[in-house]
Amino acid sequence: MSKPVALYCWHFMAYPHLPADFDEKYDTGWVTVPNKLWDAEKSRGLYQQYIDQLTYASELGFDGMVLNEHHQNIYGLMPSPNLIAAALSQKTKRGKIVILGNLLPLHLSPLRIAEEYAMLDNMSDGRLIAGFAPGSGPETFNYDVPSASSREQFWEAVDLIRRAWTEDGPFSFEGRYYPLRYVNPWPRPTQRPYPPIWIPGSRSRETLVEIAKRGYCYFLSSRSHGKETAKSQQQFANILEHHGDHYQPFRMGILMSAYVGETDAQAQAEAKEGVWYFLKNCLKGHLRREGRQLTFGPGIPYIPSDEFRNYLKFSDPSSPLLGDAENWDDLQQSASIIVGSPETAYRRIMDILEHAKVGHLLIQFHMGNMADALTRKSMYLFATEVAPRLRAESARLFAREFPDMERQLTPELAK
Amino acid sequence: MSRHSLNVRGRKVAVLEAGQGDPLVYLHGFADVHGVAAEFQPFHRHLSEHARVVAPAHPGCAGSDELEDGCSIDDVVFHYLEVLDALGLKYFDLVGHCVGGWIAAELAVRHPERIVRLVLIGACGLFVSGEPIGDVFMHAQPERGTDYQSLRAVLFSAAEAPVARRFFPDGRGDIDEEVRRYQMLRFGSFVGFKPPYFYSRALRGRLHRASMPASVVWGEDDRMVPRAHGEAYVAGLPNARAFGLVKATGHAAPLEQPQITADVVRRFLHETRTQGVPHGTADVAAASNP
Repeated sequence: MSKPVALYCWHFMAYPHLPADFDEKYDTGWVTVPNKLWDAEKSRGLYQQYIDQLTYASELGFDGMVLNEHHQNIYGLMPSPNLIAAALSQKTKRGKIVILGNLLPLHLSPLRIAEEYAMLDNMSDGRLIAGFAPGSGPETFNYDVPSASSREQFWEAVDLIRRAWTEDGPFSFEGRYYPLRYVNPWPRPTQRPYPPIWIPGSRSRETLVEIAKRGYCYFLSSRSHGKETAKSQQQFANILEHHGDHYQPFRMGILMSAYVGETDAQAQAEAKEGVWYFLKNCLKGHLRREGRQLTFGPGIPYIPSDEFRNYLKFSDPSSPLLGDAENWDDLQQSASIIVGSPETAYRRIMDILEHAKVGHLLIQFHMGNMADALTRKSMYLFATEVAPRLRAESARLFAREFPDMERQLTPELAK
Repeated sequence: MSRHSLNVRGRKVAVLEAGQGDPLVYLHGFADVHGVAAEFQPFHRHLSEHARVVAPAHPGCAGSDELEDGCSIDDVVFHYLEVLDALGLKYFDLVGHCVGGWIAAELAVRHPERIVRLVLIGACGLFVSGEPIGDVFMHAQPERGTDYQSLRAVLFSAAEAPVARRFFPDGRGDIDEEVRRYQMLRFGSFVGFKPPYFYSRALRGRLHRASMPASVVWGEDDRMVPRAHGEAYVAGLPNARAFGLVKATGHAAPLEQPQITADVVRRFLHETRTQGVPHGTADVAAASNP
């Protein structure tokens, strides 16, 4: 028997109180979406509700809770995921706290992230998974991060943080972006030599190579999982081999969304409002052709121009994005948001796992303006009726596909 | 027109040249040769009827290598000093458009003795309170997948003008052209994205050093670099002529009204011709430049 898939509950903390005509009236949910739409009265208790949902995930036996950083948008109300992580460190006793991640180029100094993550690792008794991300399109606009140089700046910051956690201080850091005379953070992390590091990427070869060189975990930040996900897994495996390393499922994670109801019909009826609020409002400006997409494109020129040439050659600008889905059938095609009975959810997720062969499954349960009671019911059905079967079957799958895995797991990954 | 490339300390620099006479160095902008077009456009050809127009492509653009050790405005200015040395140009007229105008102004305040005459067309580079430079990066993100209407509206007087649609069409355009646009945006992101956004606060206080005859030319309806920036250049450059406004054009005046824009530049160069200033490769010591 092998180690089963790890199942996490991801909360984006969407703004749920948009007016019904939002999609008609506003061209984006990101960066320039007017914040006069924030309803302070209706929003009282919102963070508490979201934190309580994540706490419930811990109680239901999920392997972890996932947070990430977004700015100036209605998709995710966590400019500082570390604040939520601090709350979770006190409200929960079990489950990883995954921050995926802090957007390093947006911070004045990476040293502050090294310090805050070390605090969180101590406060949670070594439950932190430390994610680092460079930020994508919206953040370059939100914080005026020059996208062309942000990648180089990002990896310098990552290297500084790892050194800050592993080398005895004080030492001086001769960085181009973050030269520091005294690196000597107190506290140091609880986990030794350092908390697991996850790096999100969207198929850029450059990112995979940098991850492989450093031995970190790769989180594929795509929301849809067709054959492209299997290709990414294979690409990462090849790059790892090239760097004298080996792929095993716990080197990689993917994101999907799920709503589980008693039957397919009931699940669709219950999820409908939240799912469509998410697709049409939260993804507007991100994964919809309608409006102005701020996630990727020529105005965010962070990839080298020969990579952009390849993108132009091999992409079809008219192909629909996730948020362009118009009905359940469209949605079904994208293998992104799974809505159905426990049996349907099990079958479809297992199907993705068989192709993707990843060990970390990060699942979004709360979508858009989904009601608290429905979100919790879906999480409960998943945890009690889907998760046990996924764990059993994935363990068989991994044992079959990766017979050497146990030997390859570092003690940290095997935990 | 001839095309060649220089090797400047191991970096490739693509150069277009046309015409004969006194050397005129042209530093390009976004809606311009190298920024999107592979060839000289009518504006550059008009200039080359009376001058030897030498137009290097910025680092990373149109066949030039990127600068690997930093690409701030200072790095770019030093890059161009090396390019000019490699071209053997000690004295020359300098014309810059958009970001190229900013680089030209930065060169002029550092080495006024080398620049015979200076022409700035829709140049960014200055901070003018309340008159922000347009967000070309936001507008370069298409709407509805591949709709560049708002980018055209920032760069041209009319978004649907044929010349605007020619170089910034909707849909997937010519791949080489799209890559040149991308490269120019990438160069722009290196040099001018981080605040300050396409400007240096220090530049205005240094303009007094650029005492050569100067002409400031602006599209009447420039929505990328507001006209107030041109007025600030006129106020700060000690020897600037009256503001040259080109009617019925936006930021891309050289593409929109090539003949009229070139005539404004040529008239200025003609009127300031009698001052007996040296050009080209004459020895620095022999120069009578102020």
